[in-house]
Order: sequence, then C-alpha cells, then structure tokens
Amino acid sequence: MTRYQGTRLALTQRQAAAILLLPFLTVYAVFLVYPFFKGVWISLHDWNLMAVAFNPDAKSYVGLSNYERVMWGSNITWGAWASPGYQFFGLLGLGTSVLLYRTGRAGKVTALAIGIASLLLFVLPGFHPGEDGRWYDRRFWPTVGNTILFVGLAVPGVTITAMLLAAALDGETRAKAVLRTLFFLSQVLSVTVVTLIWQIMFSPRQGLIANVTELVGGSPIVWLTAEGFAMASIVIATIWWSLGIAMILFLAGIQDISKDLYEAGALDNATGAKAFWYITLPNLKRTITLVVVLQIILHFQVFGQSHLMTNGGPNDTTQVLVRYIYQTAFRDSELGRASAMAVFLFVIMGGFSILQFVLGREKDQ
Amino acid sequence: MSGVTLSNVIKKYGDVQVIHGIDLQIEEGEFCVFVGPSGCGKSTLMRMVAGLEETTDGQINIGTRNVTKLDPSQRGVAMVFQTYALYPHMSVAENMGFGLKMNGFPKNEITAKVNEAARILKLEPLLDRKPKALSGGQRQRVAIGRTIVRGPEVFLFDEPLSNLDAELRVDMRVEIASLHKQIGATMIYVTHDQVEAMTLADKIVVLRNGRIEQVGAPLDLYRDPDNRFVAGFIGSPAMNFLPGQIVKGTLSVPALSDVPELTMRLPADGTRIELGIRPEHLRIDPEGRGFRLELIEKLGGVSFAYLRSGMGERLIIAEDGESDLTDDMDVGVRFDPARAFLFDAETGHRLR
Repeated sequence: MTRYQGTRLALTQRQAAAILLLPFLTVYAVFLVYPFFKGVWISLHDWNLMAVAFNPDAKSYVGLSNYERVMWGSNITWGAWASPGYQFFGLLGLGTSVLLYRTGRAGKVTALAIGIASLLLFVLPGFHPGEDGRWYDRRFWPTVGNTILFVGLAVPGVTITAMLLAAALDGETRAKAVLRTLFFLSQVLSVTVVTLIWQIMFSPRQGLIANVTELVGGSPIVWLTAEGFAMASIVIATIWWSLGIAMILFLAGIQDISKDLYEAGALDNATGAKAFWYITLPNLKRTITLVVVLQIILHFQVFGQSHLMTNGGPNDTTQVLVRYIYQTAFRDSELGRASAMAVFLFVIMGGFSILQFVLGREKDQ
Repeated sequence: MSGVTLSNVIKKYGDVQVIHGIDLQIEEGEFCVFVGPSGCGKSTLMRMVAGLEETTDGQINIGTRNVTKLDPSQRGVAMVFQTYALYPHMSVAENMGFGLKMNGFPKNEITAKVNEAARILKLEPLLDRKPKALSGGQRQRVAIGRTIVRGPEVFLFDEPLSNLDAELRVDMRVEIASLHKQIGATMIYVTHDQVEAMTLADKIVVLRNGRIEQVGAPLDLYRDPDNRFVAGFIGSPAMNFLPGQIVKGTLSVPALSDVPELTMRLPADGTRIELGIRPEHLRIDPEGRGFRLELIEKLGGVSFAYLRSGMGERLIIAEDGESDLTDDMDVGVRFDPARAFLFDAETGHRLR
C-alpha cells in the first residue's frame, strides 16, 4: 500500500515545541538576555555615555573597579554596632529564624531564607569608614538604605491593607462589587497620574489632607519637603497605587477557603475577628508569601514616585536606587558605574525571585 | 444532655418557603435521623437547629432553653460536616481542642479532654498529624472527636458518611452506633440513605418538600407507613406498586389474574388505588402465569427477580438465594394479603 503523506510535515513533539517557542525566545534573547549581559559587560568598563556614543573606542576595561568605586571606600572597617538600628533587627531576625525552625513553625527553607536575610542585615551595615577613611561614593549606601526602608514600609503596608480590604470586600453584595472595582481602579493608573493625584492630596495649601488637619485644629504638614514625612508620603501613594493586584490575589485566596470551615468555626465560637485570625489568616499563608515576594521585587524598582513627587529630596532622604542609577547613567553619563549598581540591584531581586520560587515549592510541614 | 423541640419551624429564602411549619419532639438521648430525597430540606432543618441557618418563624428549644435566636456556639450543639471541615492548618489535637480554646478553657483541661476523645476513637497515634496526612475514615473520626471534646447537649451529623467508600461506610456506621450507646447523647443525623436511617435511628423523620411525611421508629415505618412516599422510601429494594381500581366493591388489579381477599376496608367504587407489596413479601409461583421473569440476580444469600407483567408493570421479588429459577421463565406471583398495603392513587394516603 502506498501512502502519499510526504507533503505534510510530520513534527515530533520536541520539534513542534521548539517552533512554538521560537518567537518568544527570540524576543526574550534580543530584548532581555542580550541587554542583561551587555549591562554586566558595561559594568566592567570605564564607559562614558556621551563619549562612547561619539567614539565607540572611548571605553576601557577596568575590571571590578566600578564596583569598588560604588560600594567600597578607603579604610573601611567592620563593627558589630556600627549601625545599631539595622544590626539589631538583623540579630533579632537571626534569632527568630532559629526559633521558628526549632519550634517547627517554619519550614527549613523559610527559616534559612529569613536567616540569610537577617545575617546580611547584621553584616552589611557593620561596614563603615575607619579613621581618615571614606566611602568612594557617599550616596550609594544611604540610597540602598532608603530603598530598603521604602520596601520595608510599602510591602507590609500594601500586604496588610490589601488583606483587610479583601476580607472586608469578600461577598456578593452589589456595594462590595462596586467597592472592589473602585479599589482596583487605582492600579491601572500610570505612575505620573498617581503622583500627580497625591501631590495635590499632600499639598499643604489646597490638599485634602491639609484641609482635614486644619479642620481638626492642626497646622498642615508640608509632606513632600519635610524630612520626616517625605518617605511616608511616597509610601502612602505607593500603597494606594499598588493595592489592587494584592487585593485580587487575597480575594482569590479567601474564596478558596471552604465555607464549611467558617461554619465549623461558628460552632466553635470563632466568628468575626477570631475567625479571621484563626481560620482566614493561616489558610492565606501561601497567598501572603506570594504577595510579599512579588511586592518586594516590584518595590525595589521604585522610581517614579521618588522622581516625580520629591525629586529624591529633601536632603536625599527619598533618593532610591533606580533613581540613582538613572541619574548616574543619564545625567552624569557614568554608564559603567550605573551598570555596576544595576547589577547590584539585580542580585537583590534575583535573590528574592529564587526565594519566591523555593517557597512556592516548599511543602507544608 | 437535652432533647430538642421544634415548634412550627419555618424557613424562607426570600419568597421561597423551604420548610413548612415543622413540629417535632426529639427525646433526650435519642438518635434521630432526618431522611428524605435531596432537596427535601433535611439538611436545612438540621442547620437551623445548629444555628447556621436563621429560623424565619417558629421556635427551637434545646432542653428547656429557647435557642431560636442564639449564635451557633451558644446552643450547646456540635456538628460533623459532610466534608469534615477540619481546619487544614491545625494538627488533629488542635482541631479537636479548638472549640474549647475559643471558649477560654485552660490548656491542661483541653489536653485531658482531647486525650479522652482520642482514646474513645482510637486516634491517639494520630494526634500530631495534619488532616492532609489522614485517610478519609480517620478524618471522619477526627471530625467526630471534635464534637465529643466539646461535650455538647446535642450532636449533629450532616451526611457524615457520604464521602467514604462503601466498605468504610459500613464500619463507620457501626462506630457511630456504638458511640451513641457509649455516650448516650441526643443525636440528630441527616442522610439520604435509608439503610443508614434504618440501622442507626431510634426515631426516623421522613421529610419531603420541607414537610414531615412520617415520624416513627424504623420498624414502625417499615411495617406501617402512612403513605405511598414513606412506603416507597423505606425498605430496600423499594416496595412494588401495582395500579388498580375498586370495581363493584372488590379490588381489581389488572396485572394480577386473581387478587386475594384483602383485610382492609375498601373505598368507594371507582377509586383508583395502588397495591403495595414489598419484594420480600412476594413469592414466585412457578406454576402460575401472567409475568415474565426478565432477569434474576443471584447474590448468594438472596436473589432478586425482576418480573414484567403482560401490562408492562415491573415487580422486584426477593427470592431464596438458592433458588433454581432462570431468566425468561413465565411465572405467577403469590403474596400474603396481610402484608399488602393499599394506597389512594390520587393522594398517596394509605387506605387501612
């Protein structure tokens, strides 16, 4: 029996997969993988943006000296109490991770992750210039500190607010559906619109917040230019902006919890806040992990809020890493040093991505 | 321990009424089973006793207390859910002790009560496990253990065995029965399975469309059903019904060539009736005619014969397991007229 199937391409599964993946891989390689390695390569060069643009040979290989210029200084020493604020929390975290693991309240990986983060928090702030020493780049580490502070405030802020909102807005009434939409709406705005809205909100003259403080007899706070309040104000704007996705994730998590558990809880005298604490919260553990890690990765890249609302000020208190990278690269034309900082940021975010990946796979103990 | 009294209990969802004025007295220590087809309101009625559904009208008393408006936790009831509803993040011991913890009992007292319940249910080796690491039967026992620990006045079981496989279901049924003997508490049990109802209950409440069809001890319902629905629902395989009519003061059933003299008083001429006979009260008469034996299922101890009359009506007959009947025989049927029931075909009421 003769068959005429020669004109039809017979693909193995592997070949078909390769063909279907090709478009994505091409885009991924050209726009992500290549620029990433190029960035690493640039970070190893003395590379002035303008000079190299006009003359491709105006760059020179300098090894790791960009990293040194950014992160190190002369006569740097290490002390256990050089920066007590951070280091105390580092030690605290270290203790917590051991305790959590010993009591079996956290898995091995979770405990290890907390432990490593805490260890870094204890070790890194301990470095400081000794006598006659100085950082080569005075602004870099304070900027990293500001970024961490921002993440440290925004992530719990978003997570807790989103979780409480989700718990409150879970249900089938029309009002709840409308409110869910409203709260999600802010998420779709661009950062320029968000910062504009909040600049008006925070305005000490006609702003809503100033009006309210005046109404209750206080004098209006100059939010965006007061050192103690500038960071708070960009954190508040950020929480408002990025609530939506977290809220949706929590709503999905809450709706995943069987209604029977709440009925069993009602019979066990666990209703209202007790039901939230003993039933909702423990069953949201996975969602909380997901939301927290996603938010950490997202908020380490904060740029617009700081750039548009406070210009990194006052006195550099809201200067954040991405804005500093941006300024170093495009204002100061120091592309090599900016790339070194970008690689540093990549390492941080890569660490959290791995953490997310590992936690997502860790089985419940 | 206390009994439960329902007085004219009504449940409406908006304009839809699902429970129509139920009056029921459950005695202290009684095992009461609500049984009926799905959608009959049996679960709703139990959930109203638990307080998980609001009572639209009427009154529910547990013991002498009117609990109609009380929160579930204040009613002194504990419930086993169909899905077990174990808290997935808590160990077996924590699951069982959670109710006491929420009610502020001291830790050592909780531990003592949990251990006692674990001993009764043979759960001791599992106390530190999470529900995920348990089999279906073990989860079921934990769910029961959770209710025992609470020491409630009334135990509620909402179709607790329907998620188990057949073999385990029988085991758990026996365990629940012996548990009731052991602690002697008032229990309300919801099921759609009349075998569970028959084997467990002191008192069966047969429900249909939100109304009570009949209340009584299992054998009373079997021997003396009030209507066609109860007669058909209780007993397995179900009762056979043959349509007929009263003609000139005698009962005429087209499927049967000669109808034996019945003991009950017959209604007026022309009344359409149904003659009900349980499979176990019918006998095959190999000499007789009028039915074709379509199929015989031989289960060993018993054989079920499926017969079809010339008019197309079907009968199931429980025969001796050793019966030498075979498929496709032409046979007749016999029965003891004292074991037959007569129902009004219009209303379904029993004619006595």
